[in-house]
Amino acid sequence: MSIEEQYRTRAKELLAGGAVKMVIGYGKGTTGERRRPIFITSPDEVERLVLDEACITNLSGYLVSEGLLSDEKRVAVFLRPEGVRAVNILAAESQLDSDQLVIFGFDVVGNEIKALKGIHVEEFADVIESLKESAPGVAKELLLEKIESMSPQERFSYWQGEFAKCIKCYACRQACPMCYCRRCIVDSNQPQWVNTSSHSLGNFEWNIVRAFHLSGRCVECGNCDRACPVNIPLRLINHRMAEEVLGTFDHFAGTSKTQEPVLASFKKDDSETFIL
Amino acid sequence: MKIVARHDEAPGVRTLRLEFQNPADHDSFMETYRTGMFGLYGVYGEGESTFCVASPETRKEYIECTFRQSGRVTSALANADIGDLITFRGPYGNRFPIEEFHGKNLLFISGGIALPPTRSVIWSCLDQREKFGKVTIVYGARTVADLVYKHELEEWLERSDVELVLTVDPGGESPDWKHRIGFVPTVLEEAAPSPDNCIAVICGPPIMIKFTLISLKKLGFDEANVYTTLENRMKCGVGKCGRCNVGSVYVCKEGPVFTAAEVSRMPASDL
Amino acid sequence: MTKILFSDKLDNCVERWKKAGFSVIGPVQRNNISTYAAVERAAELDLGLILTERSIKELFFPQSEPMLQYTIKKDSIETKDFLPPSGQRIIFGARPCDASGMAIDDPLFGWDYKDEYWFQRRNESVIVTIACTQSDDFCMCTSLKLAPDSTKGSDILLRPLENKRGWLVEEITDRGRDAFKAIADIVQESADTAAPLAVVEKKFDLDRSVAWLQNPENFESRFWKEISMRCIGCASCTFLCPTCHCFDIQDEGDTYSGMRRKNWDSCSFALFTMHTSGHNPRSTQSARWRQRIMHKFNYFPGKFSVNSCSGCGRCSRQCPVDMGITETLQEISKLSQ
Repeated sequence: MSIEEQYRTRAKELLAGGAVKMVIGYGKGTTGERRRPIFITSPDEVERLVLDEACITNLSGYLVSEGLLSDEKRVAVFLRPEGVRAVNILAAESQLDSDQLVIFGFDVVGNEIKALKGIHVEEFADVIESLKESAPGVAKELLLEKIESMSPQERFSYWQGEFAKCIKCYACRQACPMCYCRRCIVDSNQPQWVNTSSHSLGNFEWNIVRAFHLSGRCVECGNCDRACPVNIPLRLINHRMAEEVLGTFDHFAGTSKTQEPVLASFKKDDSETFIL
Repeated sequence: MKIVARHDEAPGVRTLRLEFQNPADHDSFMETYRTGMFGLYGVYGEGESTFCVASPETRKEYIECTFRQSGRVTSALANADIGDLITFRGPYGNRFPIEEFHGKNLLFISGGIALPPTRSVIWSCLDQREKFGKVTIVYGARTVADLVYKHELEEWLERSDVELVLTVDPGGESPDWKHRIGFVPTVLEEAAPSPDNCIAVICGPPIMIKFTLISLKKLGFDEANVYTTLENRMKCGVGKCGRCNVGSVYVCKEGPVFTAAEVSRMPASDL
Repeated sequence: MTKILFSDKLDNCVERWKKAGFSVIGPVQRNNISTYAAVERAAELDLGLILTERSIKELFFPQSEPMLQYTIKKDSIETKDFLPPSGQRIIFGARPCDASGMAIDDPLFGWDYKDEYWFQRRNESVIVTIACTQSDDFCMCTSLKLAPDSTKGSDILLRPLENKRGWLVEEITDRGRDAFKAIADIVQESADTAAPLAVVEKKFDLDRSVAWLQNPENFESRFWKEISMRCIGCASCTFLCPTCHCFDIQDEGDTYSGMRRKNWDSCSFALFTMHTSGHNPRSTQSARWRQRIMHKFNYFPGKFSVNSCSGCGRCSRQCPVDMGITETLQEISKLSQ
């Protein structure tokens, strides 16, 4: 039985038995290679679930999206390892109760789909740990190397060119499981911290503020990068920040649901090199 | 426009009296302005905010606006001092057709901070009192302190040609409160004004309007004789920015004044 | 014999137009995105794209537009109105859906207050459209009763030649005719024939979908919740849409000086309709998606007798969760069968 079929069967059982009220997974999209998030509430619909290498979107954001789950939090959700990391962070930040979740874990290795063993977040600890070892090296893309080899002026003008494209549609924010704030800082206007206009200053403010807010929290699922309609390589910024956090605080975001938020907690032996 | 006077009506609620800087602007405003229309009031650096013109069409020396200090712009307006300049665009929107009210009894129903638009109609009618029949005003607020235009309420209480029914929500009364206690729809039903030859004008928060409309129906009012004003969020005021519509109706262009019959044709969940 | 513009002469045209005082704008690839931008040479143009990722709207209705500048002095306030910098321009190589989109928005910017920002740019622009000979799965002009060679909103329509050496020239408006006077001697008579147009499959029955939308009962249909469950509430569909025109007005600056600007805004955002009191008429994402569809296919045509959609398909093409107008109207078509 393929992994897709195994998970369909499990989804059917869970829904029929009432263990979960909804399965958040992937279904066919508009075109052959597209996949889209779907929400299954009846055991008769599980055939709509699809699982293949095109299932990339991190679905964990739906677990905290306003109005979707209302009072019913018992859901099953298809997650790749980054998705599990996101759930850990959301649980650590008191945004959800991970005990209510059934996880259909999977990963794509090469072109092959691999099932990840486990139901609850705790059971994926080893998988996440192995990511920690490989992530910084593997994800270091050529473009990032190129950018890092630039002079500060070149680098600034590179990002200036990229941010100039930003139209402030906030697709990056909306697609991000970590951006769950009911009122984002850009929507707060007393005071108006961030200019709402998408001119040069406003775009810099937005993208840099977002990078800061995701430092130590980003799981590098790539949702923002794929959602950006103007192709800004947002992932590079977040990856750079993740590297920095790993190097400075030995913190890899989302290893467990009890992990302390690195930039929101204080330790006596924290390095204080930034205090002049 | 220049702020020539300001007055605190209730905690957080302030009235500004405004004069145009340019006589030509004054004249063109007064020529167009009719009760019910709205304007966009603003402070440079903070933005613009939409609310009604609270002064009546019958008084042409100045305009007044009354607002609750809650957002960025209203806070800036509240902090503006006498002599300060603020921006104004308007008048926009439609009006209460008060000539059509001639010879009829008038019932005004209002809640809390929604008295300002009602007050504009009330004075526009009281300034030509002889043209109308009986005038009844039902006004309520959460607490005694929250009643706005307290001086004018006193004046209306004293007038023999106006019947004013005042109420506050249960628990909002002060020890010396001599008027009603209860929610506006309930008090309205107790006062039981006759629907015969009567026009009702209601303004209030969405929830009050909803229940007051039910009460008016019980009392026998025809939806076509009930007027209200909708105040949706607006930015342009001229039918372009795309946010104030309720169903297909653009509040800034086709409103803000509607009959209850018109409102009942709008999709309720879009209100 | 018909009028032909050969592509190897395009550089001469650009030069000629620039000499005649036009700036020349067209589809280009810049910073890893396809968009419309000013060019110096014809070689910069990318005329092989099915459609630019960013729409033509930005040339008429930029994402952030300064409207006025204020300076506050001790006893007075000085203000300075901003209008777009004036200048004639030729937009070469627009697609018919983009050009149509601009014509669709004309009545909106023209009713009541005439938006001078929009109309100054409209009046100073010549849109030279190239009919489509290729399309993708998301193109849907034919579903909107438009076509790969619609002339709506265009001043000139060019039809690609079968032999790929240039375009057959159709002059649509006087403005187009005038602009082509500058290159009259470059345009030649020839018997070359036009290449077949792109075949754009009709994806839904517009009339049937619109009739369903117009039925007040369907406003409360469960359909809205179901179709929009995966909507994440970003504004990429509205911002890339050539006809979406909603905007915000924002002041930026300090107590002494600053700027009032008109910025794109979107019905997808929760704060778009939020009252100061906290009451929000469109408090759920399904209500907001319903508003977008209703606005385009019910309210807007009710006022201006034209649907606010030209079928470019950008909404569906780039949606992070694979939603869009096509799917929604397809499903509605099915519901009303």
